[in-house]
Amino acid sequence: MLALEIQQLHKSFGSNKVIDGLNLVVPENSIYGLLGQNGAGKTTTMKMTLGLLKIDRGTIKVFGENVHYGQTPTNQHIGFLPDVPEFYGYMKPQEYLELCGRITGIPEPLLKPRIQELLALVGLENAKKRIGGYSRGMKQRLGIAQAMINEPKLLICDEPTSALDPIGRKEILDILLKLKGKTTVIFSTHILSDVERICDHIGVLSGGKLALEGNLSEIKENGRTDIIEIEFTSKEQLSQFRELDATKAYFSSDNTSKLSVEGSRLYIETESVKSTQLHVLKILAEAELVPNRIELLEPTLENLFMEVVK
Amino acid sequence: MRPYIAFVKKEWLEALRTYKVFIFAVVFALLGIMNPITAKVTPQLLETFMPEGMQITLPEPTALDSWAQFYKNVGQMGLIVLVILFSTLISHEITKGTLINILTKGLKRSTVIYGKLTLSILLWTASFVLCFGLTDIYTRYFWDVSILHHAYFAGGCLWLFGVFLISVTLLGGILFSNSYGSLLTTLLVFIVLMILGIFEPIAKFNPTWLATQNLNLVQGNLSPDRLIPAILSTIMVIVLLNVISVIAFNRKAI
Repeated sequence: MLALEIQQLHKSFGSNKVIDGLNLVVPENSIYGLLGQNGAGKTTTMKMTLGLLKIDRGTIKVFGENVHYGQTPTNQHIGFLPDVPEFYGYMKPQEYLELCGRITGIPEPLLKPRIQELLALVGLENAKKRIGGYSRGMKQRLGIAQAMINEPKLLICDEPTSALDPIGRKEILDILLKLKGKTTVIFSTHILSDVERICDHIGVLSGGKLALEGNLSEIKENGRTDIIEIEFTSKEQLSQFRELDATKAYFSSDNTSKLSVEGSRLYIETESVKSTQLHVLKILAEAELVPNRIELLEPTLENLFMEVVK
Repeated sequence: MRPYIAFVKKEWLEALRTYKVFIFAVVFALLGIMNPITAKVTPQLLETFMPEGMQITLPEPTALDSWAQFYKNVGQMGLIVLVILFSTLISHEITKGTLINILTKGLKRSTVIYGKLTLSILLWTASFVLCFGLTDIYTRYFWDVSILHHAYFAGGCLWLFGVFLISVTLLGGILFSNSYGSLLTTLLVFIVLMILGIFEPIAKFNPTWLATQNLNLVQGNLSPDRLIPAILSTIMVIVLLNVISVIAFNRKAI
């Protein structure tokens, strides 16, 4: 079952085309990171999914049901956390959640325990003051609590961590991680390390459509460039290695490898990673050279992001 | 029904904790007490400040003067306070984005409108009854009220006009999403109605009659049935305005 399915979505504001033929699928129970630069259309896409903005063309389905603009029944499956959630400042968290619970139709006997459970989840069980005096981090956490009150099958978070300090960010990510497996989570962000920490699927929004999408580990796998990085203790040690007869012999016989140097680091791009690595290690051992580090370069999300957004 | 009650409760809490209830109570209680008192003491005050040797015979104030004060004060000040306090009723929520959480929880948009109307009409009714009641009690205490005609009916007309203004202000807020839009819409509607009032054949249907003919009713110069067309047309316009509000709010991007 797909939690969210977007097909051929178009949206423009005046002459500004924000979404241009977007196709997007989110499998159930995944944590989906929607990436994109500021103004790429992440918030617009989310608002259309919630029926808060009119769709120009295309369809959005939530658990197989079509989303309508305005009053949409699909919202009963969704919990939404806006980028800057706005609350009634004169209410206490408990009162606010009671209001939310009654609106979504949680039976009265279940409401109090549910609220206690949620306040504990987001660490606000002792917050008794009015919301007006809360910090952004606290508001964001209360935002998650209100979004989770109806036990939604799909939780949509719009840049939940962007405005927070490192501790606040970690807290929010930990809460989202706790939901893994129970709820499908879609969250937009431009902070790549957040995505790497908790997402299993990603989509990169650029030019109104997805420039890159899929399973995060598969994307990284496909983006692998097969580069071995060797960091020597000094430039001298590096040139010593390169001058060795064994080194010269090996790399002249293997013409698929390319060498490049950056400071005291040597990069070997090769088609046969394993045998190259083995030979390099042998040469090093025989010459009794001990470098600082040898590793297979992982493609970083940042590189992938830069590449597709370019 | 439960979402509606929960939303009305929220509106009540808001009115209470943002001091709206307090302001309403103070303003309308003050107006209620001031009406008879001003009528009572104005002649005495004038006498006190009169220059030496000057003689003006002031007529003894009556219950009519007290009600004249009431319709002058509540019909102007009271209604202005009402419109200003309700100009942020929905515009504030739209601009701040506080409705996003609530609407994405599945609250019907029409419930938002009905909830807001319910509480504002209740608040207006309570304030009006308070003010009217205070004026009534003091007037009875000071003067003979047997000269009055249709005092309650006249009051009811002004109350209905208040409900009409609330509906206009709410629609203005939905259309323009800010309190200035709300206020300007109400002002514009009022001006247009005043201009329309010049045309004799349709004047009797004009809602402004409900706020301008009250004293004529109390004095007995106008019989209540002359106001029936205006009452009926105002009720129809109120219903229509609220239907338009619901439709407009349903189509609004939030």
